[in-house]
Amino acid sequence: MAVILHGSMDALERIRADAPARVAAARTLDELKDVEAGLIGRSSVIGEMRRGLGGLDPGERPRVGQAVNEAAQELQALLAQRRLALESEAEDRLLAEDAVDVTLPGRLLGEGHPHLITSTIDELVDIFVSLGYRVAEGPEVETGWHNFDALNTPPDHPARAESDTMYVEFGDPADELLLRTQTSPMQVRYMQEHEPPVYVVVPGRCYRTDTLDPTHSPVFHQMEGLAVDAHITFGDLKGTLGRFAREFFGAGTETRFIPHFFPFTEPSAEMLVSCFACDGSGCRVCGGPGWIEILGCGMVDPNVFEAVGYDVERVTGFAFGMGIERIAMIRHGLTHIKHLFENDVRVLRQFGS
Amino acid sequence: MRVSLRWLQDYIDLPTSDPDELAAVLVSLGHEVEGYERLAPTFSGVVVGRVETVSAHPDADRIRLCQVDSGEGPVEVVCGAWNFEAGAIVPVARPGATLGTLEITQRAIRGVVSNGMICSSAELGLGSDHEGILVLDESFPIGADLADHLELPDVVFDVSITPNRPDAMSMTGLARDLSAYFRVPIRMPDVSDPGGIGTTDLSVTIDDARCLRFTARHVAGTKVGPSPLWMQQRLSKAGVRAISNVVDISNYVMLELGQPTHAFDLDRVRGASIVVRGPLPGERLTTLDGVERTLDASHLVVADQEVASSLAGTMGGQESEVGEDTTNVLVEVAAWDPATVMKMSRSLDLHSEASSRFERGVDPNLPPAANHRMCSLLVKLAGGRVEGDLIDVYPTPVAPWDVQLSVADVVRTLGEGVDRQEIIDLLTRLRFEVSGGDPMIVTVPTFRPDVRRGVDLVEEIARLRGYDSFPDTLPAGGGGGLSISQRRTRRLRQVLLGAGLSEAQSFSFHGADALARLGLPADDIRRSSIRVRNPLREEESLLRTTLLPGLLGAARYNVSHGNLDVALFEIGRVFYDEASPEIGQVPHQPMHVGFLWVGSAKAGVSEEAAPVDVFTATAVVRTIAEHLRLGWLEFVPVPYPPLHPVRAAAVQLDGVVIGHVGELHPRVARAWDLPGRVAMGELDLAPLVADPGLWQFAEPSVYPPSDFDLAFEVDEAVPAAALLAAVAKGSGPLLESIDLFDEFRGGRLEKGRKSLALRIRTRSSTGTLTSEDVAAVRADAIRAAEKLGATLRGA
Repeated sequence: MAVILHGSMDALERIRADAPARVAAARTLDELKDVEAGLIGRSSVIGEMRRGLGGLDPGERPRVGQAVNEAAQELQALLAQRRLALESEAEDRLLAEDAVDVTLPGRLLGEGHPHLITSTIDELVDIFVSLGYRVAEGPEVETGWHNFDALNTPPDHPARAESDTMYVEFGDPADELLLRTQTSPMQVRYMQEHEPPVYVVVPGRCYRTDTLDPTHSPVFHQMEGLAVDAHITFGDLKGTLGRFAREFFGAGTETRFIPHFFPFTEPSAEMLVSCFACDGSGCRVCGGPGWIEILGCGMVDPNVFEAVGYDVERVTGFAFGMGIERIAMIRHGLTHIKHLFENDVRVLRQFGS
Repeated sequence: MRVSLRWLQDYIDLPTSDPDELAAVLVSLGHEVEGYERLAPTFSGVVVGRVETVSAHPDADRIRLCQVDSGEGPVEVVCGAWNFEAGAIVPVARPGATLGTLEITQRAIRGVVSNGMICSSAELGLGSDHEGILVLDESFPIGADLADHLELPDVVFDVSITPNRPDAMSMTGLARDLSAYFRVPIRMPDVSDPGGIGTTDLSVTIDDARCLRFTARHVAGTKVGPSPLWMQQRLSKAGVRAISNVVDISNYVMLELGQPTHAFDLDRVRGASIVVRGPLPGERLTTLDGVERTLDASHLVVADQEVASSLAGTMGGQESEVGEDTTNVLVEVAAWDPATVMKMSRSLDLHSEASSRFERGVDPNLPPAANHRMCSLLVKLAGGRVEGDLIDVYPTPVAPWDVQLSVADVVRTLGEGVDRQEIIDLLTRLRFEVSGGDPMIVTVPTFRPDVRRGVDLVEEIARLRGYDSFPDTLPAGGGGGLSISQRRTRRLRQVLLGAGLSEAQSFSFHGADALARLGLPADDIRRSSIRVRNPLREEESLLRTTLLPGLLGAARYNVSHGNLDVALFEIGRVFYDEASPEIGQVPHQPMHVGFLWVGSAKAGVSEEAAPVDVFTATAVVRTIAEHLRLGWLEFVPVPYPPLHPVRAAAVQLDGVVIGHVGELHPRVARAWDLPGRVAMGELDLAPLVADPGLWQFAEPSVYPPSDFDLAFEVDEAVPAAALLAAVAKGSGPLLESIDLFDEFRGGRLEKGRKSLALRIRTRSSTGTLTSEDVAAVRADAIRAAEKLGATLRGA
């Protein structure tokens, strides 16, 4: 018995010594299974020794048992390591068969582009919302009173002529219904419906009897702004619009205000911004002088406050209005306003914010 | 207005002549400078000379020898021109002078040494006349530098005067504003009465209050001819064509003083009497531009004893026009009601330099000065003599008016930092007179019709002080933000963009043909469009009642340009010929969202691109509903032109129709040149973006679901949505979801029947469902389906 035992113990040592080479020699998972059976299977030396343990001296049994278990654990670890390596190799081979040209165009899940007019309006609105303004919209078919009279525009003013304003056949002719020529009539409606203080911007569509040319369109968009409060000054107008210009055109943007004339503001001004394309040296964007006209503005004329029933002794205010198409075209270098209304997919695809 | 700097300098000594600096000052004063042009002579070293003698050349017939004195004694010059004789004043290019690139030297011509050259206007770059030399007039001093005497070099500014500033529409008017800015005085031209000889039998009657003032004077003995070169030069720089001395003087005075004037041939004014009156019924007048015009009561004319001679303040008549043989000139200088001139020039589509000034408002106290100035120039430059005194009819004289202004008014609008002393200084420089305490009494000169109220003075103060002098501040603002519907409209836009549609913007109007191409029935509400009364083009004559024509037009444009896959949406207003429910006077003009998809949805490489169809349209709406958390959405099959008769549906939200979707009728698609199927829809915006209220959390069940499938056979007439709704309603509270996963026709199914397969998921929030629970739901579901005539398949 002892001979067998000693012979077995020797065999165990040999198996342990040979095992790494045998395991490494297995090239596939199937081959590894055969190696595993030969090393630790039922009919392997270790298997036989385990079965023979019961027949050993009780004194010998723990020592031999421990040696067998240690050998078995060592071999299992070796086998597991090899199995992992072979599995990983097998998966790599499978993945290689999955190869594609990843530069092929993928499926787009949706390639919609926002319109430049809308995204420009959104950008402008967001700046004024951050300065404490609300947003109002209003009817595009308006009364002559809201579009002109309430805005201090006399009955014989040239802007009211049919050569400038489109009138529509609707309602009472005395109401002079028209397609609004500016977003300003909504100022009037807003003030009629809200008590001061008022801080509001009005983006929207406007119309004029203009033939389509590179910079004019019978349909266009404006954004109007209005601030009415107890102590609004000309400095507030300049400060607010200067802030807007820096937010919209860039932190280094400078502004200039020059006198102008509008019926519904006094004093009235035009705001120029330093050219963002050439910083003043002259270029195609600003046309040379380094300054670009961006908007008209001014202190609200007391006649407008009277028209909406505000107390001119208690409030002052400023208003401004800018052409969306003009700003967007200047900023992005559009050559003709028609590109904003033809909806050519090749143009729309360029839009985005 | 074109403003010559050299001319302007007649009236003011400007501290700078740098054009950029001056342009900036004009702009800061509110006079926009569109640009400026530098004028330079194309010659140098050309001086004024007098031809002392003219003699024949010994060896040539066609050229002559001239002794010309240009200030340094006579020298001999050979000349080939024959349009002058001894005594003529001429431009002489002396040796060393240049004409363009030509340098003049002393050289022999046919054996005679010529000490320079007598020049034509073409050689001097002043005109195109090659025929003869330029004969100058007595105003050119012998020996003077020609360029300098022609006010060259010069800078001409192109200035836009705003409509509130008629006083600035002249050289002296601008000089006045600049003098306030630079604090230097101005030199007015001599506007004193030249004095008349004897008396005149001229008479003037104003029969219409729309004439504010009328001055007239008779200048006799005029010789009509060209005006002096310096005047022609100035007019030319101002963009006014020289015509004759009388007409040029009239224009010159207008440009100089801002007061339009008119010269009549007095011999063609019957009876030497002038009446200002409204036109007689049916009266006609042929104006200077040769157009015969029929007048009406809104017009105003200057007439002789019989007929109208000119249109007040707008344009003269042809009959009384000053011509070559005019010897008696009637000088009219008047003031007119601005609104009258504006209406007249607009209704006759007749816009002149005169009307553009009168309709803005010319100082009614200016006519006598302008009349004197014109008469003096007629005497000096046209050989006339003034007959009698000035006739001046001025029914209601206008005096300077007072406006009250307190320092507090100024500070309230312009902010702190402007004090009383500065206010007085600024206003005084602008020629307002200031008196009184606080409020101050500010007396406004009559040339400033735009200044009537305190706020008008505030503007003047701000303007002269300089807008950039006020420090920037920020007001408090008032808690801004977007409303819920504004936020949801933005969200809607993002959803549609994410779904693959690009945003379009189309015009809000179209022509009748666009509606016709939609093939709408006669009684369709979308055919009662509001009409634009004065459209420029037929395509802009009807306000849109639907967004579809705009989208179809955009699709057609794209397809015709080779863009075959087009997915667009537009959010915009449509206009109905009915009163707005919110605002009475204006039409109902709700916002709509419309969309169109033509071609196919994008596919990857080697995949079949799926052409769009009705399900593309419904999918767009379902996507909107999911993202905006809309309520109960249903598609109700219904024919709806211009959609396909059986591929169209009304969109119902919580039982209310909010729009329609489907495929475009193939006939309509053909009418718009669109290939294949076109998926479209149009919805009211308001219900989509209305506040849906706060949503409340639903606790997800911790228990497992139990799923089962049911396949029903049902009549074609039963829409899948109806079956789903019936099963959903009949299945009780344990039902979690139903998905329709198969639709099938043919095979063993009878014609007119179809199979619909549903996957039903049940689940309880209180425990795991037993097989009995699930069986009960199943039985309920089948019963509900059977009520619609469905039979369970495989049962």
